[in-house]
Amino acid sequence: MHGEAVVVGVGESVYYKHGGSPDSEFQLACTAIRNAAQDAGLELSQLDGLVSYMDTRNSPLRIAAALGFDELRWSATPWAGGGNNSSATLQFADAAVSGGYANYVVGFRALAQGQFHRLGSGAGLMAGSAPEGLAWGMPYGLLSPAQECALHTKRWMHDHGVSQEALAAISLACYANAQRNPRAVRYGRPLTREDYHASRWIVEPFHLFDCCQENDGAAALIVTTPERARDLPGKAVPILATAQGLGPDIGAMAFQQRFFPGMYYENVGRMIWERAGVRPSDIDVLQLYENFTGPVVMALCEMGYCKPEEVDAFVADGALEGPDARLPFNTSGGNLAEAYIHGLEMVVEAVRQSRGDSTCQVEAVDLSLAVGGPGYAPGSAVLFGPAY
Amino acid sequence: MTRYLGDDFLLPNLTPRNTPFFTAGSVQIQACEDCGHAQHPPDDLCYACQGTQLAFRGMPGTGRVESAVVVHHPLHPALVERGPYVVAIISVDGAPGCNVTGNVVGCAPETVEIGARVRAVFEEVEDPRSGESLKIPQWELASD
Repeated sequence: MHGEAVVVGVGESVYYKHGGSPDSEFQLACTAIRNAAQDAGLELSQLDGLVSYMDTRNSPLRIAAALGFDELRWSATPWAGGGNNSSATLQFADAAVSGGYANYVVGFRALAQGQFHRLGSGAGLMAGSAPEGLAWGMPYGLLSPAQECALHTKRWMHDHGVSQEALAAISLACYANAQRNPRAVRYGRPLTREDYHASRWIVEPFHLFDCCQENDGAAALIVTTPERARDLPGKAVPILATAQGLGPDIGAMAFQQRFFPGMYYENVGRMIWERAGVRPSDIDVLQLYENFTGPVVMALCEMGYCKPEEVDAFVADGALEGPDARLPFNTSGGNLAEAYIHGLEMVVEAVRQSRGDSTCQVEAVDLSLAVGGPGYAPGSAVLFGPAY
Repeated sequence: MTRYLGDDFLLPNLTPRNTPFFTAGSVQIQACEDCGHAQHPPDDLCYACQGTQLAFRGMPGTGRVESAVVVHHPLHPALVERGPYVVAIISVDGAPGCNVTGNVVGCAPETVEIGARVRAVFEEVEDPRSGESLKIPQWELASD
């Protein structure tokens, strides 16, 4: 196992419905980072690295200046996609502190969709005609990640005889767990199976409640070395292994036959299991990014939790709900029901589980896994060990 | 109306790599002159042999539905009045491994099943901004 980098602080802003934040996106980012530094017992001036993903609006240069870093020694962002890289953020931070390039590296993500457009609306893409990379789908009304993931999910369910109830189980687990979490935007809004099935179709087989929320907010984590962590007041959560990558052919475009249908998580699973020397059944608590429920059940199978033909039974009967679940899963409510901070809030939750701080705390957590968003490549995952 | 999603709906911007596909009036797939590898979408290099001698080849114009979903939530103003529509992934006969995106026209959206045979039809439209004549590949259910 790796374990040469540790998370020493986590922070977040208040999570809002989309457009609900009174603060700007940059203010939200700075709030989350300040809260993480306070959680770690660090001065802002000590922070010297910044990593984010799909983020071109909140420059590390601007953040380092605004927060008064003594110096910025590491800034990085993984290429391509969206929330697929949420866990990769920790890999880049781990690499920086393990390599000695920086001492205290922040992974962060912030979004204010009132200030900017909604991610899932395609508004930024549709102000005219379709540019080349999108022209293959947009003239046909293929405009959103929900539609792309639905095309994969529909074929995969068809091939393996997977039922709508498997998708429902993901949504119901997230909503049930969010009812324990006062931070969750859907706290106090329980979801029944009847509500789920009665909700309108977005794109078949996704109902409204198969789709993540759109939110405003920010989350941040601070990574350092075990040696530096000893001088800090709080718990350190070791990063046991990380994975980021994609298989052959996937980078060019979705839908080509070699990997259709697929969520591209076989290689992410293989890397994380090999690097950590563990198996899926060893994991005590799993956060698995839900852009939509279909990709979650597909990624569970690709990572080795079960075969596609077994997934209905694997997730049935509340198997994912609550701290005593067969597989404790998305214990904060996840993107569906806590908030959609593009999955970084789920990495924060994975750290909370290791520290014993979750509102849906699993007993005796040795291995806490956070998996970035399936459906887009490169995928990523980060495995945490018990806090010390 | 000549287009499945309405005459005001998005048109592709033509580029050297996509002009054959959207203007030829036949199903055009890029193939490598050196090794014969067919690929979609087109690129500047053959993904099989890294050759740069690439050309477009007309395919027979038939295919198979690999997946199809009914879209209900309208994401574009031009779709609000239209109602549900079907988006499909079509494997193209004559181009092994190549899937294209399209609509299956001339039928109710929910009747398009995985595995259905389809044949290409073309939406002929002039881009009002550029004056270019487009022939956008679409698909209809084939009886064979």
